[in-house]
Amino acid sequence: MAAPLDVSPTGELAPEAGLAGVSGKAIEGRSPGQIAWMRLKRDKVAIAGGITVVFLILVAIVGPLLVQNPTTYHLNLINPTFSRPNGPFGGVSLAHPFGVEPVTGRDMLSRVVNGARVSLLIAFLATALAVGIGVVMGIIAGYFGGWVDSVIARVMDVFLAFPLLVFAIALVGVIPSSAFGLSGNSLRIGLLVFVIGFFAWPYMGRIIRGQTLSLREREFVDAARSMGARGPYILFRELLPNLVAPILVYSTLLIPTNILFEAALSYLGVGIIPPQPSWGGMLSDAVSNGFYSIDPMFMIIPGLAIFITVMAFNLFGDGLRDALDPRGTR
Amino acid sequence: MRRRRTIVLPALAAAAALALAACGSSGGSSGGGSSSSAAAGFNAAVTKVVNPSSTKGGTISFGNSSAPDSTDPGNTYYAYMWNFVRLYTMPLMTYKSCPGACGLQVVPDLATGPGVVSDNGLTWTYHIQPDVKFEDGTTVTSQDVKYAVERTYDRGKFPLGPAYFPLLLAPQKPAYPGPYKDRSKNLMGLNAVQTPNATTIVFHLAHPFADFNYVVAIPQTAPVPPDKDTGANYQLHPMSTGPYKFQSYQLNKQLTLVPNTYWKASTDPNAKQLASKITMTMNMNANDIDNRLLAGDLSVDAAGTGVQAAARAKVLSSPSLKASSDDPLAGFTWFAALNTTLKPLNNIHCRMAVEYAASKTGYVDAYGGPVAGGAIATTVTPPNVVGHKTFDLYQGASMPGGNVAAAKQQLKLCGQPNGFTTGITYRSDRPKEVAAAQSLQASLARVGIKTSLHGFPTATYDSNFAGVPKYEAQHDIGISFYGWAADWPDGWGFFFYIVDGKAISPAGNTNLAQLNDPKVNDLLNKMALTNNDATRNSYTSQIDMQVMKDAAILPGVWAKSLLYRSPNLTNVYVQPYYGMYNYAVLGTK
Amino acid sequence: MITFIIRRLIATVFLLIVVSMITFAIFFLIPRLAGQNTYQLATEYVGRNPTRAAVLQVEAQLGLDHPLWLQYWNFLKGIVAGAHYNSGTTSTYCPPPCFGYSFRSQQPVWPQMVSDLPVTLSLAIGAAVIWLVAGVAIGVISALKRGTLFDRFSMGVALAGVSLPIFFTGLISLELFSYKWPLFPNVQYVSFLTNPYLWARNLVLPWICLAFLYAALYARLTRAGMLETMSEDYIRTARAKGLPERTVIFKHGLRAALTPIVTIFGMDLGLLLGGAIITEYTFSLHGLGLFTILAIQNQDLPEILGVTMLAAFFIVIANLVVDVLYAYVDPRVRH
Repeated sequence: MAAPLDVSPTGELAPEAGLAGVSGKAIEGRSPGQIAWMRLKRDKVAIAGGITVVFLILVAIVGPLLVQNPTTYHLNLINPTFSRPNGPFGGVSLAHPFGVEPVTGRDMLSRVVNGARVSLLIAFLATALAVGIGVVMGIIAGYFGGWVDSVIARVMDVFLAFPLLVFAIALVGVIPSSAFGLSGNSLRIGLLVFVIGFFAWPYMGRIIRGQTLSLREREFVDAARSMGARGPYILFRELLPNLVAPILVYSTLLIPTNILFEAALSYLGVGIIPPQPSWGGMLSDAVSNGFYSIDPMFMIIPGLAIFITVMAFNLFGDGLRDALDPRGTR
Repeated sequence: MRRRRTIVLPALAAAAALALAACGSSGGSSGGGSSSSAAAGFNAAVTKVVNPSSTKGGTISFGNSSAPDSTDPGNTYYAYMWNFVRLYTMPLMTYKSCPGACGLQVVPDLATGPGVVSDNGLTWTYHIQPDVKFEDGTTVTSQDVKYAVERTYDRGKFPLGPAYFPLLLAPQKPAYPGPYKDRSKNLMGLNAVQTPNATTIVFHLAHPFADFNYVVAIPQTAPVPPDKDTGANYQLHPMSTGPYKFQSYQLNKQLTLVPNTYWKASTDPNAKQLASKITMTMNMNANDIDNRLLAGDLSVDAAGTGVQAAARAKVLSSPSLKASSDDPLAGFTWFAALNTTLKPLNNIHCRMAVEYAASKTGYVDAYGGPVAGGAIATTVTPPNVVGHKTFDLYQGASMPGGNVAAAKQQLKLCGQPNGFTTGITYRSDRPKEVAAAQSLQASLARVGIKTSLHGFPTATYDSNFAGVPKYEAQHDIGISFYGWAADWPDGWGFFFYIVDGKAISPAGNTNLAQLNDPKVNDLLNKMALTNNDATRNSYTSQIDMQVMKDAAILPGVWAKSLLYRSPNLTNVYVQPYYGMYNYAVLGTK
Repeated sequence: MITFIIRRLIATVFLLIVVSMITFAIFFLIPRLAGQNTYQLATEYVGRNPTRAAVLQVEAQLGLDHPLWLQYWNFLKGIVAGAHYNSGTTSTYCPPPCFGYSFRSQQPVWPQMVSDLPVTLSLAIGAAVIWLVAGVAIGVISALKRGTLFDRFSMGVALAGVSLPIFFTGLISLELFSYKWPLFPNVQYVSFLTNPYLWARNLVLPWICLAFLYAALYARLTRAGMLETMSEDYIRTARAKGLPERTVIFKHGLRAALTPIVTIFGMDLGLLLGGAIITEYTFSLHGLGLFTILAIQNQDLPEILGVTMLAAFFIVIANLVVDVLYAYVDPRVRH
């Protein structure tokens, strides 16, 4: 992992500002945030990743309203003997620009777009959960130290000791189809978010704990304490803003991991309940039922969707990290 | 993958199978593209023996996409296992090893003749051959058969097999606990089975049961020597009476069989001892099995339910590969049970609306289309059950896309002109069933019947969800997807557990429609009591008609399996009872 | 140092007990809370259409009618002291560690796991060696040749590697290199002792697929770590002292950059030893990962418990080893 981000905390006035009146020209001081933003702007690859990410989020939010129904069967487009779409590239046509699914004849474009919504939703929510718990636990452990730190560190060890995939599969199997007031896919999505997020928080927690440990020895914390600040104030008003950078960066890098994780769970049969599409589910259908060899597009399209999304987040996250870390660009 | 298969093809059904085969046939044998001799032609093995041969030697390798429930003949319920165990066991009766309708007859195996009935149908007497030996040279006696039957009473040790003996034999007080508890008292302690001498065995039934010959054809009557029995560990090395015996068995991984030197062909005309080694590799990836089968690295797909989608495309689009494949009826019907106790499906017209609205084409296509999936089912029994008659109450065959107008009419009659909502259950780890459920959902939506889908894994489907009437009531489940093949090839064997009121159970229920129609119950009772074959078999179609009139079941597909026949196998033919190749007679080039 | 290790070992034991409790709770308790009774649970393990008597017999046989704490206690006792099992005609002794008997086959769980272990070990360790060497080497070279074509290309490939789901790469490689062009036909595990050549040849595809993912990750990490370390002041000092470049890179630069790599390697390897689930599933390798999937599909609770405990054990031990190595290397870490 890259070094702790050495971002100057309080954005104190740059020395140039003091000379403003002297040279006659107003020289603007730049806050570290602005410096980072300028560096990011110059990184073309990261910008491309960022634009793709924004585009995908837009597709996920708005897309399903613009495309046709993803659950309508078009059996007339399927060859019944082979269960294969008629026509090349999986039945591409004007009405179905991405072709149709084998067996059912459902429109691939609308399934991919609807799948984007589900896959991104799960990934974002799970990341939010992991980050939320991880940051809180990490800060508390790092700042208070002592037995608090030991306890939290041990709890993190317990979570890290669980074979994650096993638990995901097993939990989905034992939870009934309606519980906690939810049912069907809302319950399943909630369960997946819980499993992915709840078992991923120790990774974030460890990083934040490490950062907090090094930050708490800094002068500004002493200064705040000497002014009479108490624990919570220091935690949330002094330390947290300085942790924004690593939180942001690792969140951006956690999201693609969670997208892949959801795909893996679908492959193993515990993903989203049909007929609701999800990228992982479509890929899993194509791969485990052997349809990939009679209709390769059925596998390539969701595979490509996952690939591009994950790639975009990774590129953007990398760029963000480079931009926020002053030393890495040397 | 629990399946039970029973197929008895009367001449009628055999003709139907031939007709179906002809529809799909690509003609006679084509000049094979493979390196061995010309392939025998599509569906050749359905009607005749392909590559008849008595050449010995070679290895037959079976590939299995899962693992057997048990290799202990007393503890297995899978169809392919009932086929496979004949390689190392001889039950009292078995199905004749010949292709076509011939293979549906139940004939003596260990026994010298069918059971002799007396005492108003309550006593069945069998004589066993005097010179059959176990793999260690000891002679098989009637006591070994009695012991095998006794074992099936201890469901704690052997939970997986069928429960016909405790169900049908005369009870005793206190209830017989099996030969393990209190062994000194209970070994040979089952009073309902008597062994007056070493070659005679007498069964005393609680009620007359005309199908008893079929019951003793179940592998559970394969003899087990009490002094060599190891209880739950017997599956690791059963004492063989068949042409092969266990050489090694790594649980869930690999089984190797080698010839049993004490087996005599004269005592067992329904099996052959040709190959010098037989192996079964378990828990293989299903697509991997297909690829290796086509490449010649594997001889047989053990499950016998057909190739996956990718291989299907390869086989059907290549004339040479197609000439080496068969498309027999599997003996299954895939159907959806309509809950007769749940509002508003408790009103017969609402159920009839579902029958009319369902798209049979969608159902069949979900299972793989007309070749690999099967034929549109218009009755509950498939064509290869004795006494089957084809009829079509809800225009499933004449309007395979569904009859929306008739469905809407029925909805008006049941007081739900705008449709209603209900839940559908299906087994989420069976992709074809998933597709079928989605297809039905789409069909019913056309007439305003809104359904929610609830998928559950096969392992818990019967025990916790669809098979628990209370669960279905609490969660508003009106439609449950299922499949069924009978334990033996006649109407009672097919119908009892899915439509008889007595079969409804609080958990592990298989009468998912919860049908309790006195007419149906009565017909099933009559079947059990009628000894005359013709009369008894005539009841099958009457039961079928009544169940369809009650609209308790929505039949979907009469399953077919697209099997690839490895060109290196000899003596290959489909045994219609199992719906797959007869494993007991295979050899290899 | 010794006290440190002993303290950690004790903590490890407690950790494993906590994991076992949570696992037990999830699999045995949650279904109860969801309303399933023991009768229903027992019907899962009986054949079709069981009689009521049959289900009750199975319930008794599998011990499902015991209270949960008793089942848990028997489970713990078995691991430590072994258990006796009545198979019918004899009473067999299941020596410690006894993880109970499979609900389906009524055969002991531990020997099955032990026979699956060599497959997982071969897969995990083989892939680990490949990804560590390849990943670190590529990362170092990329860092040193920063901005060149090699750097951009390898980082691009690495990015692709971490962006593809592993079952995707696994399947494509099987399709291309096993079925279409039979370079590696019949991918099936052959024991090293039976035939070392076949053992290696049949594992090449799974090794590469598994290693590809991790190598990509490690290359990126190493590169980032190297870049950061090489820009430190002490590197400048070392160069100024006149040390040869090779010493500067490896003795000073790489060594420091490797510390986070070692931590992660320990965790990754520990996780894999519990079973590379997806890889084994895709390539039909009978290791602990496939064992896990089958156990869950069959709802075979003793098997699930056993394999989860074994996987947790590997993870915890791997972490312990990494921490001990750290303490050995870095005196600040010992408390």
